Formats: sequence, C-alpha cells, structure tokens
Amino acid sequence: MNLVRKGRVITLLGLGLLAGVYVRALAFTPVERLQGPAQKIYYLHVPAAIWTEMAIVLVGLAGIFYLFLQDPRLDRFAEASAEVGTVFATIVLTTGPLWGKPIWGTWWTWDARLTSTLLLFFLYVGYLLLRSAITDPALRGRYAAVLGICGMCLVPFIHLSVYLFRTLHPQPIILKPGPPSLPASMLITWLCSVGAFTVLYVGLVTQRYGLSLQREAQGGIGG
Amino acid sequence: MRELLAQAWTVARKDLVLEFRTRTAVLSAVVFTALVLTVFNFGRDPTAVAATDLAPGILWVTFTFAAMLGLNRAFQLELENGALEGLLAAPLSRVSLYWGKLVANLVFVGVVEAVGLPLFVLFFDVPLGHALLPLVGVLALATLGIVTVGTLFSAMVIRTRFAELMLPVLLLPFLIPPLVLAVLATARLLAARPLSESLAYLKLLAAYDIVFLGVATMLFRYTVDE
Amino acid sequence: MADVPQNSGYMVAAYIVTAVILIAYAVSLYRRTPKP
Repeated sequence: MNLVRKGRVITLLGLGLLAGVYVRALAFTPVERLQGPAQKIYYLHVPAAIWTEMAIVLVGLAGIFYLFLQDPRLDRFAEASAEVGTVFATIVLTTGPLWGKPIWGTWWTWDARLTSTLLLFFLYVGYLLLRSAITDPALRGRYAAVLGICGMCLVPFIHLSVYLFRTLHPQPIILKPGPPSLPASMLITWLCSVGAFTVLYVGLVTQRYGLSLQREAQGGIGG
Repeated sequence: MRELLAQAWTVARKDLVLEFRTRTAVLSAVVFTALVLTVFNFGRDPTAVAATDLAPGILWVTFTFAAMLGLNRAFQLELENGALEGLLAAPLSRVSLYWGKLVANLVFVGVVEAVGLPLFVLFFDVPLGHALLPLVGVLALATLGIVTVGTLFSAMVIRTRFAELMLPVLLLPFLIPPLVLAVLATARLLAARPLSESLAYLKLLAAYDIVFLGVATMLFRYTVDE
Repeated sequence: MADVPQNSGYMVAAYIVTAVILIAYAVSLYRRTPKP
C-alpha cells in the first residue's frame, strides 16, 4: 500500500537525520562545563517531550473534527498519533532518569517535564486501551474522540498543577541544570534534533495510518 | 433552560430514590471509606510522622477511591434493567440526562464525604477550627471536578469490556490535577494558614470545574447516541 | 575551576536507548503489516 511505503521512506529519512544529530551532538557540540557530557541527553529528551505534547493535542483536534465530520480518516489519524505519542513519551521517560541520575542524584525526580510526561503517558495508554476494548468501529471512533478531546483539555491543567506542586518541593541538586543559556552551536544542535523528531513523527504516523488502512482493507475490523 | 433543569432534576430524583430505597450502595461506600481510613492509620508509624503532615493526602486519596466506587453504579443499573433504552427514547435532552446523572452522583459522593470527613477528623486528630467552612468549599470544588469527568466516562465504559477496570484507568490522569490542588489547599487550611494563601489553588479548581463541566455537557450525547 | 563531571556513560546509554526505542517501533510497524 502506497501510504505505508511513503511512511517508511519518511521514517528512514527521519532516522537518517537523527543519526546526523547524534554525530553533531556527540562530536561537534561543546560539552557543558557544569553538567558534563550527560547534558547532551537534553538534545533528545526535550524534542521528544515537545512531540509527546503535540501528538496529544493533535489527537484531541482530530477527535473534535471527527465528531463533527464522522470522517474515518480522522479517527485513523488519531489512533496513529496516539501510538506514536506513546513511543515518544517512552523516550522521554527513559532518557529523563538517565539525565536525572548524574545531575540530580536520583533516578526519578518529580520535575515538571517528567511528571507531565508521565501523566501524558497514562493518558495515551488509557486511550489505546479504550480503543482496544471496543470492537464496533463507529462506537470506537466516537468514544476515542471523546476521550481524546478531554485529554487535550487536561494538558494545561496538568502543567499548572504540576508547577504548583513543584514549587513546594525543591529538588536536592548536585549540579545546577536549569534551562541552559544555549550558545549558538548548542542551539543549532537542539533545533536540528527538533527537526529530526518532527520528520520521525510524520513518518511513523504515516506508517501507522497506512497500517490501519491495510488492516481495514483485509480484515474488515480495522485498527 | 428551566425545562432542562426540570428534566435533569427528574432524572436525578429517579436515581436517588432508587439509591436510597435500597441503600446498599451508599452503605457499602461509607463502610469502604471508613475501612480505607483505618488502613491508612496502620500504614504509618505514628512516632515517625505527624498526622498533620500526611492528613491532606490521606483524606483525598480516600475520597477519590470512594468517588470512583460510586461512579460506575449510575449506569450499571440502567444497563442491567435495559432502562437505558427507555431513557434515551424518552423526550429527554442529553444535557438533562447528563446533569441529572451528575447531580445524583454528587449527592451520593456528598453523603459519603459527609460521613467520611468527621471520621477523618476523629481518626487523625485533625485540628479543624475555623478551617471547616473553607475545607467544605475545597471538598465541593474538587468533588465536582472528579464527578464531572467520572460521570462522562462511566457512560462510556459501560459499553466496553472490562468496565470496572477501564473506569479507574481512564479516569486517574483526570483526577490528578484536582487531587493535587485539593491536597495543597487542604494542607494550607489545616495548618491554619489564611485563606488568601490557598486562593490560587481554589481558582484553578474552579477553572477545572467550569472547563470540564462544559466539555462533558457537550460531549455526553456522543456517549449515548448511535 | 572544577573539573567537568565524568558522566558520559549516562549520555551514551540515553542515546542508545532512544535509538533502540525508535528503531524497535519502526520495525514493529513493519512486522505488523498484514501479509496478503
């Protein structure tokens, strides 16, 4: 099927770009003096977190349009975006502790980004579980859209409540991270990484979307 | 508008009459709450941590569990007796149906909390003092947030497999913001801090309630219509 | 001036983990294609 193939091409392109980012980050970007090489995890951790958030907003938006237009393509897209969002959330939740241990001294810190991403991860998993528990495609699309819209509306509240929660719990720190004031070369690496993750999102979603199409064409159940 | 409210009240009253005729669900939820509070007491070392440190968290975890207990029964009853079809066939607006269910659930959870709060104060020797009224306010705001989303989701999970597991799994991420805000506000109030310090939390709770009440009202019809 | 911390092990681990997750997912999509 054409879409799956297109998706694979885009994904391979994305992986290639990511490889380029790896080279640039590891060999050609200066080491941050205070945090050491572990700071370079930032170039993967943050772009993945950005796309984890974007993906759930897109799931919600697709849900809104689906309820109005009843177009199954929107539902297929929402499902794909949710799955890819889960993958990106996994990246954030694994690279986060790997960054946290050398910098903060503990594997898990309830810092704003990690906590928010954890909640988004649970949202994604719940969304995918709900989809898997319904066999009728029309009902599934509708219910998934309802959950997706609610999830999208929840995101700002997650951020605000996590922020309020955190200001009471200062983290014991060994090294001071904070948002690094990025000199140009670091900023470029970071932007390239955002670009690579963007391409990866597009490629993986396209592949997943195509997969849904293929399954529907063959099996009739869909998804 | 008045028509909507009247219809909603009819739905709510029907549910509540059923509920309090048998009283089993309410009693079970109350007993459950008492048990959870008891378990929490044995879950801590009284010499190590002061009760007032843990108290807000214990209170809200307990009430969250109790609220989740109460939520599934709303539609369970309908589905078992095929009453849901009859309700949908009636000239009843979906908005009224949702609000009616919401009110019934709120009353249910409210009763459980009304018994749970004094028990909590008793078990953990919590100094309430002037904090009672604001605390009830926090209770109301947070409970509204929880039950608003919960009523919407319970309508959905009824039609899925593993409904009893599905509801907590879907609902928990939505419970965390109101839970966090309620615990933060409760901690301030129990520590006899002035209300102004908790204002940010209360405003955010109110915003959460308004947003999700609106969203749930608009989305409810998609959970019950074909 | 303090020495730069020697924590590149974590960095390597994180970079590997990210690549593994992405490649594993892409491969799983490939494997899940229904064979006609």
